[in-house]
Amino acid sequence: MILDVQSVTKFYRGKGKSQVIANDAISLQIKEGEVFGLLGQNGAGKTTLVNQIVGLLTPDEGDIHLLGKSVLENPKRARSHCSVQPQSQVPLGFLSPRQAVSIMGKMRAGKNYNSKRLDMLFEALDMGEWVDKEGEKLSGGARRLTAFCMAVIAPGNLVILDEPTNDVDPVRRKYLWEVIRNLTNDGTSVILVTHNVLEAEKAVDRVAIIKEGKILTQGTPTEVNQTVSNQIRMELSLTQELEKEYYPEWIVSSHQNGSRVIFQLAPTHVSNAVDWAKDLVEKGIVIDYSLSPTTIEDAYIELASKKVVASP
Amino acid sequence: MNLTHYKYVFQMQFIRNAGFLIFMALIQILISIGIVIGFTYLLPAPDTQSILYLATGAPTIILIFTGLVILPQQVGTSKTDGFMDFIRTWPVNRSVILSADTTIWLMLTIPGIIIASFIAHFMYQPGYDISWTIIPSFLMIALTSIGVGYGLAYLLSPTTSLAISQVVVFGALMFSPVNFPMDRLPEWLQTLHEFLPIYSMAEVMRASLASSTFDATLGNYINLFIWCVLGFGGAIYILNKK
Repeated sequence: MILDVQSVTKFYRGKGKSQVIANDAISLQIKEGEVFGLLGQNGAGKTTLVNQIVGLLTPDEGDIHLLGKSVLENPKRARSHCSVQPQSQVPLGFLSPRQAVSIMGKMRAGKNYNSKRLDMLFEALDMGEWVDKEGEKLSGGARRLTAFCMAVIAPGNLVILDEPTNDVDPVRRKYLWEVIRNLTNDGTSVILVTHNVLEAEKAVDRVAIIKEGKILTQGTPTEVNQTVSNQIRMELSLTQELEKEYYPEWIVSSHQNGSRVIFQLAPTHVSNAVDWAKDLVEKGIVIDYSLSPTTIEDAYIELASKKVVASP
Repeated sequence: MNLTHYKYVFQMQFIRNAGFLIFMALIQILISIGIVIGFTYLLPAPDTQSILYLATGAPTIILIFTGLVILPQQVGTSKTDGFMDFIRTWPVNRSVILSADTTIWLMLTIPGIIIASFIAHFMYQPGYDISWTIIPSFLMIALTSIGVGYGLAYLLSPTTSLAISQVVVFGALMFSPVNFPMDRLPEWLQTLHEFLPIYSMAEVMRASLASSTFDATLGNYINLFIWCVLGFGGAIYILNKK
């Protein structure tokens, strides 16, 4: 076990004497080599939790153990085992990505610093054109990737990435996920803080969904999906309006978005759904259709917004 | 103190701020020359004594300007853009960060002080008589100013420390016995300056730059020492606070 967060509660002082609860008895465990996703809306308490893990904030209640020792008692030890990519952009000023990442690597690893890893990272993320440019002249995505490299150049036991894919283009996002997966091959654990649920689903081993400081659910993406429903999602692209009265009776719920209609249905009705959709394609009402299991995004939206999408 | 950590924190901060530092060093050269030359226009017939006050006051103004004006503004910016929180996640002691930053601030003041003093000397020969105490005095005044600047910047919100730094720059130039003798000020201001560090900074600097004309008292040194400890102590306390 790398990290053991035990019933951590953190208050913030609100207006006057009121208190705002940022973390409400949060418990979670992270194992070696695991990517753990921390999902939640803005202000859910994700960054507050992360700041307590690296010892920047002290929990009001509860304790956090990193590699078996309390972070509260030795925050500096926590900082040397964890590296962080902050949510805000790192102002690089005159530092080029190469300078920023190599200095950080030497600061973290000392004599064990491996300059080949720097070349490997820049190559893996296709950053070649930027490595020797001044940071302040780089685009947001290039700076975000530099901050990512600073966090993973000499990874300790735990790397915390707070919205690492913000500003990054789709091609390099893919490379980024590969680098993150490779980190775990060497036994490093990763906490991924994000509200980009679709991407996270592919990258994480386990997730926790946080709302208003509380963990609503945690587990593998499949487990989390099942806490909501085990329904199938059907998406149709229409050529013309489809009146509600023509909707088949096996639909649990429906949602129309322009020319796209999304249905939720029970797995037992999959073959009915395919037949029905094929028929509509032949009639020219539907261009194409797709069937997929409920995604973690559906689960997340249902849990986080408390809007019940469907009841089985 | 871990010297390896110090080296890398220094490199990171120095290169990151290189553009800003060069710009500020140039501004400071201009300001210090401006104080020596510009203020002589204020005086109809400046005598050597007045010019000596200006010439030995300019370095103190530079140090006050750096520690109590530029530094709080920089700290305010890094608080606002989240860089302060990022630094706090680095695997080094907070005192290492403070030392590396202090070294950079110290270096920033040197060109302005040296160039302005040379120019004043060649233009007016005001009667410099530099004593060996200039090195420890410079360090003591600079560290006090930087320490108090850190204390203010960490303790207060960015907006408040920005407002205070504006008052400080004006107060130090016009209402402090740096560029003129203390006895020209009203009594209540004199009393205030017995407690504030600005007067002691000016006295100690003068006594080192024109040692045959001016003397600093033991009280001045004690005053500086206390403010220096208060400033850095407060800054380290706040940096370590969670």
